[in-house]
Amino acid sequence: MIEQLPILAEINPGLWVILAGLLCTLLPIGHARKAFVIAAPLFAGFLIFKLHGLDAGAHFGGRMNFGGIELTTLRIDNLSVVWGYLFCLAGIINGIYALHEKCRMTDSSALIYTGAAIAGVLSGDMITLFIMWELTAISSVFLIWKGGDHAYAAGVRYLAIHVFSGVMLLAGAVMHAQANGGDFMFNHIGLDSPGGWLMLLAMGIKVGFPGLHMWMQDAYPKASITGTVILASFTTKFAVYALARGFAGTEILIWIGAIMTCFPVFFAVVENDLRRVLAYSLNNQLGFMVCGIGIGTSLALNGVVGQVFVHVIFKGLLFMSIGAVMYRTGTAKASELGGLFRSMPYTTIFCLIGAASIAAVPLFAAFVTKAMILAAAVYEHHTLAFLMMLFASAGVMEHSGIKVPHFTFFAHDSGRRVKEAPWNMLAAMSVAAFFCIYLAWPVGGFQNLYALMPFEMDKPYKPYTVDHVVFQMQLLFAAIFAFTLLKRFKLYPAERRAEILDADWTYRKMGLGLATWSSAMWDLLAAQMNRLRKQCLSLVGRRLYQTFSPAGAASEAAPSGLAAVLTAGLLFIVLLVAYFAR
Amino acid sequence: MSDETTDVLDAAPEAVVETSKADDIHPAARPFLFLGKESVKRNFIWFPLLGMIICIILGVFHPQAKALPIEKYIPGSWAIYGFIAYSLIVLSANSLFKFLGRDEDYYGEGGLPDPEYSTDPMITGEAHHD
Repeated sequence: MIEQLPILAEINPGLWVILAGLLCTLLPIGHARKAFVIAAPLFAGFLIFKLHGLDAGAHFGGRMNFGGIELTTLRIDNLSVVWGYLFCLAGIINGIYALHEKCRMTDSSALIYTGAAIAGVLSGDMITLFIMWELTAISSVFLIWKGGDHAYAAGVRYLAIHVFSGVMLLAGAVMHAQANGGDFMFNHIGLDSPGGWLMLLAMGIKVGFPGLHMWMQDAYPKASITGTVILASFTTKFAVYALARGFAGTEILIWIGAIMTCFPVFFAVVENDLRRVLAYSLNNQLGFMVCGIGIGTSLALNGVVGQVFVHVIFKGLLFMSIGAVMYRTGTAKASELGGLFRSMPYTTIFCLIGAASIAAVPLFAAFVTKAMILAAAVYEHHTLAFLMMLFASAGVMEHSGIKVPHFTFFAHDSGRRVKEAPWNMLAAMSVAAFFCIYLAWPVGGFQNLYALMPFEMDKPYKPYTVDHVVFQMQLLFAAIFAFTLLKRFKLYPAERRAEILDADWTYRKMGLGLATWSSAMWDLLAAQMNRLRKQCLSLVGRRLYQTFSPAGAASEAAPSGLAAVLTAGLLFIVLLVAYFAR
Repeated sequence: MSDETTDVLDAAPEAVVETSKADDIHPAARPFLFLGKESVKRNFIWFPLLGMIICIILGVFHPQAKALPIEKYIPGSWAIYGFIAYSLIVLSANSLFKFLGRDEDYYGEGGLPDPEYSTDPMITGEAHHD
């Protein structure tokens, strides 16, 4: 196919998905749009597979000169190809999940968003990366706005933060390129130049560094049901790719990542909305990836690649199962749910598979990937980071392994008797569940995932050793035991409806309050200044009148003709000054 | 109307609800209804406890190939760590809630999507989760 149409080797496969999305905006026939939604990522995945096989090492294409800058709009190498495949797979699963939703906006924005993410990870230069970075933000905000009126402000905040992140990325890229002889290729960046710091900060916003993370928990739970599933797949993982490409081995990321793994678990335990709990869980999982990128060894980076791959699938599965519950019950609040295994048994099983996968139970996805990052931390003597990640693993068991499935499908029976999820949702969840098990299967399963890992290792990592299984199960059993014990003694907190404050309070309340106060102060100041100016003018006018008017002081002591002479003299001086100042 | 019929009608509201609940249960879920039994919930605690003890014993005989120094001297180190970490996270929840919890419409944007009806303990007056 590539031989017959060599131009295909020059075009970034993500652009075909974007084109399909643009066509969908004009396509009024729902079934045709749905065909595009599934076929476009499938076609892009096929192209990536073909192009990756064309050249040994890496395939470059789409080179062009734009305003004196050499652009390489396509690069498929061993690192980017994993994200390429993953995003195509996620696009297909999301497409199946959204089959019931007859909405032109969702279909087209989902396709453009998916395409931008694919094109972004397959871009070779920083300008293309920037364009796709911004396009992911602009296209995905419609998925948030589809959540309804209450999602409007969150969408605006999401857009503003991401566009700002893109602007910082561009500024950093320009500064970095200037420091490197005008080379805009996106390779290792590092923190040697101010441009590198700017780019790290831009990526930090998109990946949810501590304190920069709140757009995620603000926007994701407010998006439409399918929107949340789609959003959870791409944006942050695109940023993880950028970090892995540009900042592998940057030590500060170890600590940022370790903190990222820990702080969300405290928020997740008090949060009532399960989609927001999963958003915190997403943040926590990203921490493992950021930490692995910071460690930067082959084992750690391969662990990151594997973790990204399985994470998109199992986190998607968890979001899909809670989305199905929300679709049927109208809520994702733990305080309103419970006992749903009676009416949604298949969704329950899928959710449990997702929970087991994220908790790294043997035979489930994260067991074969997260352990690589933890092992790398031990091997490189990052003991504190390792202990923080181990602590966070217990936290993962709490919020995603226990809380989400327990309070939704088990616990107290809420009395809700609803229908099982629609067939397309079940189909999408079953595909994701299959991959969660297959990619961790001891025989002929995880080996396929490991075959995708791009970095050479001295000796292959073996996940299924007795000690690994035993110690992981110690952690998990202990966490479940603690849960049952705390429940028995009624020490486990009840789910309560509330808004939990987080870092976004700084701009949603404090920042807004500060802006409102500043505006009010400015108005007061302006009124005061206006009054003062009027008083001054009035005073000067009155003084001048008192001095120079026919009845003024100047006329009292001398003939009125003298005032005329003085005025003429003043005029002459003004004319002289004006002449020489010209 | 016979006395028997009157008795049935008197008992009707509750009975109807119960019947409706039973009928709406998904056929695939019927074999697993025992999971909702109080006795099963109460005795579930033995499963993780037993599993944990077995894994701690196995850990003594199969120590970690690359363990931290402290792990060599404490059997069941990951179990202890997991138990403490989990308990700490959960026990911090009440204090955190008092500090960070606000009304759902605190930001004036309508909060998150509202359900069709509520089983909130604040409204029903009874704890939602046992």
